[in-house]
Amino acid sequence: MNTPPISGLDPCVHCGFCLQACPTYLATGDESDSPRGRIVLMRSLARGSLSTTEPTLAFHLDRCLGCLACEPVCPSDVRYGTALEATRALIAQSRPVPLVARMVNAVMADRRLRRPLLGLARLVRPVAGVLAGQSRLGFAFGMLRATENGQRWGKQGQKTEKASLPAPSASSAPSALLFTGCIMEGLFSHVHEATHRTLSANGYRSTRVPHQGCCGALHAHTGEHDKAVDLARRNVAAFADCPESVIAVNSAGCGAMLKEYGRLLAGDPLEPEAVALSQRVRDVSQLLASRETRRGHTLALKVAYDPPCHLLHAQRIADAPRALLASIPGIEMVQHRDAAMCCGSAGSYSLTQVGLSRTVLEDKVNALIAADPDVVATGNPGCIMQIGAGLAAVGSSIPVVHPIEILDWSYAMAGFYDE
Amino acid sequence: MIPPEVLAALKAAVGPQWVKDARAELDTYATDGLPTHRSLPGAAVIPGRKDELLQVIRILHHHRIPAVARGAGTGLSGGALASGDAVLVVLTRLNRILKIDAENRRAVVEPGVVNTRLSAAAEPFGLHYAPDPSSQPACTIGGNVAENAGGPHCLKYGVTTNHILALDVVLPDGELLSLGSPSGEPWGPDLVGLFVGSEGTFGIATEITVKLTPTPTAIRTLLADFTLLRSAGQAVTSIIAAGFVPAALEILDHNTIAAVEASIYRAGYPTDAGAVLLVELDGMDELAVEAEASQVEDLLESAGARSIQLASDPAKREKLWHGRKKAFGAMGRLGSDLVVQDAVVPRSKLPDVLDQIGEIGERYSISLCNVFHAGDGNLHPNIAFDQTDPDLAERVRRASTDIVRLCIEAGGTITGEHGVGTDKMHYMPLVYDADTLGAMNRIRHVFDPLELANPGKVLPVHSCRG
Repeated sequence: MNTPPISGLDPCVHCGFCLQACPTYLATGDESDSPRGRIVLMRSLARGSLSTTEPTLAFHLDRCLGCLACEPVCPSDVRYGTALEATRALIAQSRPVPLVARMVNAVMADRRLRRPLLGLARLVRPVAGVLAGQSRLGFAFGMLRATENGQRWGKQGQKTEKASLPAPSASSAPSALLFTGCIMEGLFSHVHEATHRTLSANGYRSTRVPHQGCCGALHAHTGEHDKAVDLARRNVAAFADCPESVIAVNSAGCGAMLKEYGRLLAGDPLEPEAVALSQRVRDVSQLLASRETRRGHTLALKVAYDPPCHLLHAQRIADAPRALLASIPGIEMVQHRDAAMCCGSAGSYSLTQVGLSRTVLEDKVNALIAADPDVVATGNPGCIMQIGAGLAAVGSSIPVVHPIEILDWSYAMAGFYDE
Repeated sequence: MIPPEVLAALKAAVGPQWVKDARAELDTYATDGLPTHRSLPGAAVIPGRKDELLQVIRILHHHRIPAVARGAGTGLSGGALASGDAVLVVLTRLNRILKIDAENRRAVVEPGVVNTRLSAAAEPFGLHYAPDPSSQPACTIGGNVAENAGGPHCLKYGVTTNHILALDVVLPDGELLSLGSPSGEPWGPDLVGLFVGSEGTFGIATEITVKLTPTPTAIRTLLADFTLLRSAGQAVTSIIAAGFVPAALEILDHNTIAAVEASIYRAGYPTDAGAVLLVELDGMDELAVEAEASQVEDLLESAGARSIQLASDPAKREKLWHGRKKAFGAMGRLGSDLVVQDAVVPRSKLPDVLDQIGEIGERYSISLCNVFHAGDGNLHPNIAFDQTDPDLAERVRRASTDIVRLCIEAGGTITGEHGVGTDKMHYMPLVYDADTLGAMNRIRHVFDPLELANPGKVLPVHSCRG
């Protein structure tokens, strides 16, 4: 198995500006659970003064969410995330990736496993709300329930005036290829549909390419480097047929991974195509906010926007989703405390590091409940499920949806889709 | 090595997961904010409550094992390092703000409270905690007390010791003691003043009563840039000589500007400048501050400023300050290792001393960055280098010593705010004779006769007489 070298850590001068940005350090106060402490561990590993078999080394690196909140606050631009991926790949050579993570990775990577299993999950989904709770199983049902189509929450206000802008003509329309992913395809097809409709309503020709699949982020983040490379190659090949179109992504985690394909496939024969693909990737909020977003029907909703870490920290997209939500007439944006902090989802982390994941989530849930929105918006499947389950576990009925869904409700009520 | 029965007792006191003795974990506690110094502690303990902390100290005292207090580990003198026969007592979990008494402008906090979190908690009352070390988003009030921390705004508002009203401390033998008075008017000797800045050698503060300061409502921040570093230093002297007491007077030299402007905290400092000078004027009256700002602007112009930017809106001001306060962290771009000096010189000597520091840098062919509290004459020459190059490391060591000697000869001293710690201990005999050091050692023994609190720091025991 190939592992990339651990690099990008040299500029760390131990200043500590990352400490208070780190959710796990805030939860434990332990330097070993901080970015700076983990950088020390990774450097020692790279130098050979610590070995991967040292149990506490893997323990503290496993506990990193990979939220990357430490990167944008670093004055010296230390590449923490890249080093973490390389380190986890190295650790995976001497100790297997945690079983639960391996199972999740295997299911998501392979359509033949993913389709039936997620199909089964959809069958159970209608009763998941009843079973949601605080126990491990209850939390899992809460996560499943959060994947429901949120449309029923959007049926507020009544139809009045129609569109404020005419529908753009399709002739000169730029085309956008939807990245379908794994869990987004299986459990969030309503978000894909909403993405397709809202992009079309804003003058994009929205289409899909066949043979695409899971982006490999779950694999890269848990140390399955080779598997991530395989999945990246498949997607690079799938999107190479339409080299002119932008790639629209509605999952922050996938978008961040796709933007890293150039690095992931460094030295691979497909590297040039991977670099080109990375440059074509846009979060759907960027696509819509880059032009004047069409204004739909008034929605009298108080919305709390919770930025996904892989949008805010990894892709550094802060304003576009807010602008998109603010473009909807009648929306009132409410602020919650520490919005930029991770919710503790982090891919399979919420399943492999249950205790710490829940501790991190607790702050998020309390902050959201204090802000008392009608709906929480966040653009990543893991965050929707984690925050949704966290709210359900404390008996809150505040729904968590993708920002694009709210725009879609507004458009549906404006009658844009009746034309 | 820490004996197993001691580890067992510590685990019983704080819970097993809060006692760290595995090699990898200790590795992360081997340095503070100055990683050129490194020492693996025998163990690290992270108590979660005051009573747990007391138990830890009592256990260690019973077994005659030294204890070293550590906050966020952002200190710049190697002060929070423990050797293999000592236990690091990590105070990050003691992070509760116990009381904010807005009416009397004071707060009571545990030692692990982060500096900016205290100011954020005081903000709704129009108050803030004034001492603002550049590490303030990470460093703890306990660490600030230990080091008597300074910061840009200490020029006008005073350093940590001017803001500490009372302390509850645990002495190295486990005895609890209250020093000072919350009303700020204690009788007898100033024991709070003695304790603040003792660098963890007298004991550990368990509760700290601090003064809160009204947040100024009128603020003007000026950024002047100069062709020569020397002229920036002269501008500082002329502003102070004209009778102004700015909230802050900070200089960044050419190399520092380059590092900051390459980072995410780029502030718009002109990269071709020899130096920039940040001047902040504040008060409660818009017109008065405005008038002061325009007079200072004239002084800057006469001192040879090429251009002057005025920031009055909070966003622009924050940007200018971010550049200054994150400068230290940005120097990782210049080299993977960093040493920073903290010498103080009389303000009037600044221009000459800065020139001579530049000459020292050239003589040893090292890359020097000056970023400092000019109003206090508190210099921070930073030297970025690569420790794996032994020849370069030796030149850096020699240049550092030359800089310190130069500052002492100019009538200054070895540390303004970072503390002596491990890093500057060998400079102590340059400023104090053996009798004075001996007297300091005897004061230390009043608090810590067995030398169990942060031993081997601050005082070079072989140079102490009596």
